Amino acid sequence: MMPIWTKSGKKHAVTLLKVQDCHVLRYISKEASGGKTSKLLVGGKNASPFSKSESAMEIFKEAGVPRKQKVTTFNVTDDAIIKPGTPLYAAHFRPGQFVDVTAKTIGKGFQGVMKRWGFKGQPASHGQTKTHRRPGAISTNKAAKVYRGKKMPGKMGNIYRTSFGLKVWRINTKHDIIYVNGSVPGHTNCLVKVRDSQLPTYKDCNKNPPFPTYFADGDEKLPEDLYDEEIFQFTDPSVTYA
Amino acid sequence: RVSSDGKPEKFQPPPKPVIIDKQKQREERRFLSPEFIPPRGRTDPLKFYIERKDMIQRRKVFNIPEFYVGHILAVTTADPYANEKTSRFVGICIQRGGKGLGATFVLRNVIEDQGVEVCYDLYNPRIQAIEVLKLEKRLDDNLMYLRDALPEYSTFDVNMKPVSHLDHEEVPVNKLQVRMKPKPWSKRWERPKYNIKGIKFDLPEKKMKEAQKWSQPWLEFDMLREYDTSKIEDKIWKEVSEGLKN
Repeated sequence: MMPIWTKSGKKHAVTLLKVQDCHVLRYISKEASGGKTSKLLVGGKNASPFSKSESAMEIFKEAGVPRKQKVTTFNVTDDAIIKPGTPLYAAHFRPGQFVDVTAKTIGKGFQGVMKRWGFKGQPASHGQTKTHRRPGAISTNKAAKVYRGKKMPGKMGNIYRTSFGLKVWRINTKHDIIYVNGSVPGHTNCLVKVRDSQLPTYKDCNKNPPFPTYFADGDEKLPEDLYDEEIFQFTDPSVTYA
Repeated sequence: RVSSDGKPEKFQPPPKPVIIDKQKQREERRFLSPEFIPPRGRTDPLKFYIERKDMIQRRKVFNIPEFYVGHILAVTTADPYANEKTSRFVGICIQRGGKGLGATFVLRNVIEDQGVEVCYDLYNPRIQAIEVLKLEKRLDDNLMYLRDALPEYSTFDVNMKPVSHLDHEEVPVNKLQVRMKPKPWSKRWERPKYNIKGIKFDLPEKKMKEAQKWSQPWLEFDMLREYDTSKIEDKIWKEVSEGLKN
């Protein structure tokens, strides 16, 4: 994570996400998937092919691509289908876009009710006998049972969570890095799924995105760094207020 | 021996030989700002490389002088609410923290009997100028104890004139021992954890010995805490000097 300054002098914190060897693996049509839209399987970072069975490696062999560590599905409209085997780059996103980022949160192991659910616990003194971090009462008398989903101690973290509506400030096309506003779930160097935002406020935000994706061997030659309009670039002189 | 005058001649010792060692080249003083050195961790070195490129880019446009903790600096920032849209603050640098683009330094001064500390980002684009008014290293890396010292040690004239300093000379170390206000202090500075050399402790011997109870003499031999930055510093120095030359 890194600070970034806008032209008005405000400071924002930004997370760097690297697009490492992403390839499209498979196209699943609407009928085959059984959903409302067709799906595209996309694979992330390269990994060793020796620790997976042959049947699992079939997908990668079909696409002609080394084994990927993370495989995700994206729901895609019919006009945005891409041929399996095409590489995907960070330039698929443009500065000024809004993005949802999904990842597995940091695993905290078996945790008590105060850390996991934010319960208040009991006082430290004034006669409390062996009760300082316990949940206390778990149900009422009339219910005569404990409801399903009662907040209790258990394994915390290591589940998929999404942060919605993160602005993309900057894209580095040389190293394939996306600068995304705010924080993102997961530990450093963890694998992450980045998707165009589904929030209704950002429905009309994308003006002329690269559609269906940015092709490296296409005609477009992009500069090494793409900045949002409001970002202060370090090549400019210091900010002044007129 | 008697000279022509008749009086005994005073003994003139022979002139001492002056050895001019032309072979020895004067070592160029290398200063790598501490925020360039990446902290120990599992982050990808690519992230530090990209951050360094941004830092070098900023340094090309705006000159960040070499300064240590204990220097007296004057910083002018752009302020939308001030009269002339700029505000200038003079103070002694008590702490340099943070790594990479988020590096900060804290300046302290006492203005009209009120101690004021301001924490500035080194790479904040609103900073218009950083001038070093007086070059002076102190015995410690962290002068937070000036908060509990007598206010005369933190007062500096706001209209101070910059003291000239030659480039090739070493930065002078001020071995000043600061007198403190009576206890209680914000932190127990006499404890060996802070390792402060710049305070003149007027505490009784018993208190000083009691403070040594919290010493951890095994820490300096702990091999897992060792972080040897010499090779990293050399690489980064080369990268930074090449980047700034262009």
